[in-house]
Amino acid sequence: MAALTPYTYIQCPCSDLSTLGRTSDPKSPRADEADDDDDDRTFDPRAPRSNYSLYPLEYLLYCEDCHQIRCPRCVSDEIVTYYCPNCLFEVPSSNLKSEGNRCTRSCFQCPICIGPLAVTSVETKPDPSLLAAPDNTAAPHSGPYALTCSYCSWTSTEAGIKFDKPNGIHAQLAKLRNGGLTRLTAKERKERRKDPSHRFAPAAERDHERSALDDKLNLETQFANLKSFYQSQLADPNASDSGLAALSDLGFSSPTSLSRIMSIYTGGSLHDKKAKLRVGAMREALDTDEGLQLADLDESAAIAQLQCEGYDGTASTSQLSDQPPNLGEAHLHGRGRFISDLRPIPYLLRTKRSKRCPVCRHIISKPEAKVQTTRFRIRLVAGSYIPSMAIRPLSLSGGSSGTSASGSAGIPGALLDPLRPAHYLLTFTNPIFESIKVTLGAPAKTPGRFASKVTVLCPEFDIDANTDVWDEALKDPGGGGGGGGELRDRERERERERRRRKGEEGRNMSSNNNQLEVGKIWERGRNWVSIVVEVVPASLRLDHGAGEQPLREDDDVLEIPMFVRIEWEAEAGGDEVGAVIGRDREARERRELAYWCVLGLGRIRV
Amino acid sequence: MSSRRPPRGEYIETDTGNKVARKATLVGTQNIMLGGKTVIQPEVMIRGDLVRTIQASSQSGATPNSTAVAIGRYCFLSRGCCLRPPGRLYKGAFTYMPLRMGDHVFVGPASVVQAASIGSHVHIGAKVAIGEFAIIKDYVRILDGTVVPPNTVIPSFSIVAGQPARLIGEVPEGGHEAFELRDLYKTVGNNPQPAPS
Repeated sequence: MAALTPYTYIQCPCSDLSTLGRTSDPKSPRADEADDDDDDRTFDPRAPRSNYSLYPLEYLLYCEDCHQIRCPRCVSDEIVTYYCPNCLFEVPSSNLKSEGNRCTRSCFQCPICIGPLAVTSVETKPDPSLLAAPDNTAAPHSGPYALTCSYCSWTSTEAGIKFDKPNGIHAQLAKLRNGGLTRLTAKERKERRKDPSHRFAPAAERDHERSALDDKLNLETQFANLKSFYQSQLADPNASDSGLAALSDLGFSSPTSLSRIMSIYTGGSLHDKKAKLRVGAMREALDTDEGLQLADLDESAAIAQLQCEGYDGTASTSQLSDQPPNLGEAHLHGRGRFISDLRPIPYLLRTKRSKRCPVCRHIISKPEAKVQTTRFRIRLVAGSYIPSMAIRPLSLSGGSSGTSASGSAGIPGALLDPLRPAHYLLTFTNPIFESIKVTLGAPAKTPGRFASKVTVLCPEFDIDANTDVWDEALKDPGGGGGGGGELRDRERERERERRRRKGEEGRNMSSNNNQLEVGKIWERGRNWVSIVVEVVPASLRLDHGAGEQPLREDDDVLEIPMFVRIEWEAEAGGDEVGAVIGRDREARERRELAYWCVLGLGRIRV
Repeated sequence: MSSRRPPRGEYIETDTGNKVARKATLVGTQNIMLGGKTVIQPEVMIRGDLVRTIQASSQSGATPNSTAVAIGRYCFLSRGCCLRPPGRLYKGAFTYMPLRMGDHVFVGPASVVQAASIGSHVHIGAKVAIGEFAIIKDYVRILDGTVVPPNTVIPSFSIVAGQPARLIGEVPEGGHEAFELRDLYKTVGNNPQPAPS
């Protein structure tokens, strides 16, 4: 069984039902939070809903205006920049509208393995004369080019795609079908439609042409034809000649429902108010020009191919879903099912996004717009506002655990013995520059099928303020090993000694034989405090009762829900700057923050 | 002063704070640049001998740039990993190209890196293979066992895994500090210090 490293997940208040009825007042979530304290409700980490509200600290943001934790699920994202993950070029949003959400440079992924494709010359016979004279700078590669994958050795020649030039691959690919035949681009299609000689040819000639046209009708053409056909019908004033007017208003062939559907697809350009008033059935498309596409039900070719290539020749669902839409020239019925039908995938663009608080709409995270920079203009992460919690198993049996308890601590990831008390060291580190008061609450028994007993030995304590990073850095000589390190060691030891003397509630040293005392802090440092949590893991032995269900997955994970409440005094202001200026600037206000978190300690031995 | 007839430590510590294990294999040391405070654990191999054989521009004969592997500050090369400059045909002849690595790059045990460039704050897990001429930008996490195909570009804030490497997530805003390797640097060497709690 996989070892489990202890973890801490924090619940975002957005999943709390009491805060769902949001008001515009940013203070209201806090008021609700306070009400929660009276509540006896215990948060159950095993509830199916909890999966969606628990996050590691790194994933959480913090809104300075609402004084509340925000999670990736409740913030609203705004796209700052679109860029190609391969060439790292920014794509302006105007291009995005015309070209779609894929890179239009020569960035392609292998349709088989999604590795990156490189343009290579198809004829790469090593020319002995070139090897002999490396200074010959005349282009050694010429002739047709293909995209090749250096991971799985797929080349686009397998799909029959070759390029004349090594650049502008995207544009070239748009004109090529699998197999090397040319393909109509959108522009050509438009021109063809405009061409009156083609459009209004005599019926006999059209029949003659039809077989050829059927072939060419790809998804885009079919959609365009259908669209223009129905548009012309909608515009036709004397189309209403049906008696089923009232019934067919929501029917399949009514113009109202059609215009409604079309407005979904085309962004409202088709929405015609007059059409609403007119009712009546419409004619369906009858030929290729109108968008009729006869289903190609003859699958003998596919069956023959399947017989000769077998299952290995078919494309997997993930490969098919990776294929960009509308690029496969086949219409819906003949969607590629074989590996040989797959086309190179242009890279899907990625985005840089800024995050907004869902309640007060303030921006809480905003990256620099440039693709290559990794800086953030605004980055309010929860880690710099709420204390981080680290869990470490603590073994007391050793007796001499030295100055720092890490020395002979239990092996991390080891299984917990049922019904035998185990101790865990919970270290809270205060990131803010004020000292904070922490109050912990945990249920005496964990919720769920197997209730383990939990005792937090010191549920209330203070943590000193964080100091400036520079104080730490200046104290640190920085020199790697040798004397510098020793010096620092000594200094650290002295510091620790001082704290030890000063802290009357500090941990009792080894003279006291590591006695665990209720209400005592185990160890404290500059801006951190360690406390001990005692658990008595439940026995996972199933009772012989008939209705007992077998152990389910992760039933053996010992998770403790814990309610954390932090109080600190902050400088007033921030929210109501104007009001503060009038009053005493030194005014301090009490702040508090409370949230549920889950401590995952480990697995219980079955 | 650490070399005052002491018990020979496992690591050689340089003036710039590099900690190089005596059991590491560094080939062509004159072509390997260490930025300082870099840890090289035992059984690491760095192929500095695979130096560029053709200069990029013909007029740069005065200062032949012969760096094969350039490593920034606070990098951590775990036991058994290998850094190997990538090589390819260039104008009809085979040549190696330098491998550049930024700051705070962690390379996990038994990983093979043949990238062209690795940014700063990159975490490469255990048993990862990074193909030739891959470009890995800043703040990237590559999970254990990943195979990054040659010529791949991995943009910033990506979490990739799988064979071949596939984007599986983004590094969250609060996860940037986890890439810092200053504390890890202090925990190894001839007089290691315990990790701060």
